[in-house]
Amino acid sequence: MHLTGLDLLLWAAGLGVHLILLFVLLMRRRFRVFPIFTAFIVSNIGRTAALFFVQLRGTRTSYFYTYWSLIVLDVALQLAVVYEMYSLTFRPLGEWARDLRRPFEWLVAVSIALAAGMTWLAAPHARLWVQVVVIKGSFFSAACMSELFVGMLVLAVRSGLPLKTHVARISQGFGVYSIIDILIEAGHSYFGVGHNTQTYTMLSHLRMSAYLVCAAYWIVMLWRNAPEPRKLPESLRGELIQLQNVVNSDLERIRVRQ
Amino acid sequence: MVNSRAIMFLIAVAILVAALLVIAAYSLRRARRSSKRDWESLLKRLTAVNRGSIAEVALDIIDESGRQRKDEAGAMLDPAQIWKLVGGLEGLEVLEANCAVLIDLAFYVQQWYPEALAVAEQLRLSAREVEWHVERLRGAQRTGKLESAFAMYAQRAVATYYLMTRRVLALYEQGNLAMLADLEKAL
Repeated sequence: MHLTGLDLLLWAAGLGVHLILLFVLLMRRRFRVFPIFTAFIVSNIGRTAALFFVQLRGTRTSYFYTYWSLIVLDVALQLAVVYEMYSLTFRPLGEWARDLRRPFEWLVAVSIALAAGMTWLAAPHARLWVQVVVIKGSFFSAACMSELFVGMLVLAVRSGLPLKTHVARISQGFGVYSIIDILIEAGHSYFGVGHNTQTYTMLSHLRMSAYLVCAAYWIVMLWRNAPEPRKLPESLRGELIQLQNVVNSDLERIRVRQ
Repeated sequence: MVNSRAIMFLIAVAILVAALLVIAAYSLRRARRSSKRDWESLLKRLTAVNRGSIAEVALDIIDESGRQRKDEAGAMLDPAQIWKLVGGLEGLEVLEANCAVLIDLAFYVQQWYPEALAVAEQLRLSAREVEWHVERLRGAQRTGKLESAFAMYAQRAVATYYLMTRRVLALYEQGNLAMLADLEKAL
């Protein structure tokens, strides 16, 4: 398989950026809060190294199977990162906030239905059926991810649950990248993969560049510390506890009457 | 060759991306605004309500301490009277807006005082429950079933709101007396 200078540059840049990001996650002890996100970054490093090795020593078929096996792992880990971000935001007391269960179910159902509907509408030109599966699968994944991250933002704002600083930054990075990726995958679908793969390759380079910018953003944001929490004044703590006790008992009384 | 399905696909993608960007921008703006607020500015957002009417509706089913009334003079108001005293849909919207302030108050505490997370989360859930009662009434109003829904939700929502705002006022009274007069007008 022939690789151009730009291919090699983007490949090397991807590996470099992921190594720096992993260093930041370890150095700043962020891996304790974001174990799944850290696993996602480690898997990206492993994937880049494995594909490079297979590309150098393996056959075209072995590269194909390695690439697609690792893509499946990548999508699974991306969904796990979404779960991690939701969990850190919507489980303030260790369990899912009870007022958000139904909106959350709706969000997942609508996201999947919308992404599936649009993926069905896509009709990419391709020589092989497997190329159609690849293009449609990538589009579905990009649409789902962007909807889930925007949905997370909406749920957080509507319910009054704050996104913690680093959760917000990781989610923003993923959200923006996924929205750009929708456009790129739509381009892949529209132009297809014929005998001339120039447009397809150019769009892929664009996607990789967008991801590099996103990873650079994570490096800067995860290196920075979140604002220091303030010390809760004793008077305010007492007042809040008192307020909540009373409100809770009021609600219990009113619930009984329903 | 460009076919109609490909065009439809591109239009659908454009609509989806535009919708996601607008929703995300709107939500981010709201989130930024919420995170910049301080305790005083939050309480200033409370909208004035007719305290006498709210109290009359609430105290028809509960006493000042929040206990359910069991005497014969209790639960005398009918849905039409309650609707009038609450101020109709506009009055309900004010209650809903004030509940949103209580949710923002919980947001503020969760953001800046993580050690008070448990209390703030419980307060947020309680305020959301009041919101739920009010939303049901607004929904019933839209579908023309307000009369039957009113007996079920309105008085409970008003009573909960009344008790909740009394506690917020008491809380604020202990912490900062300077704005108490304005707050009393609002609540």
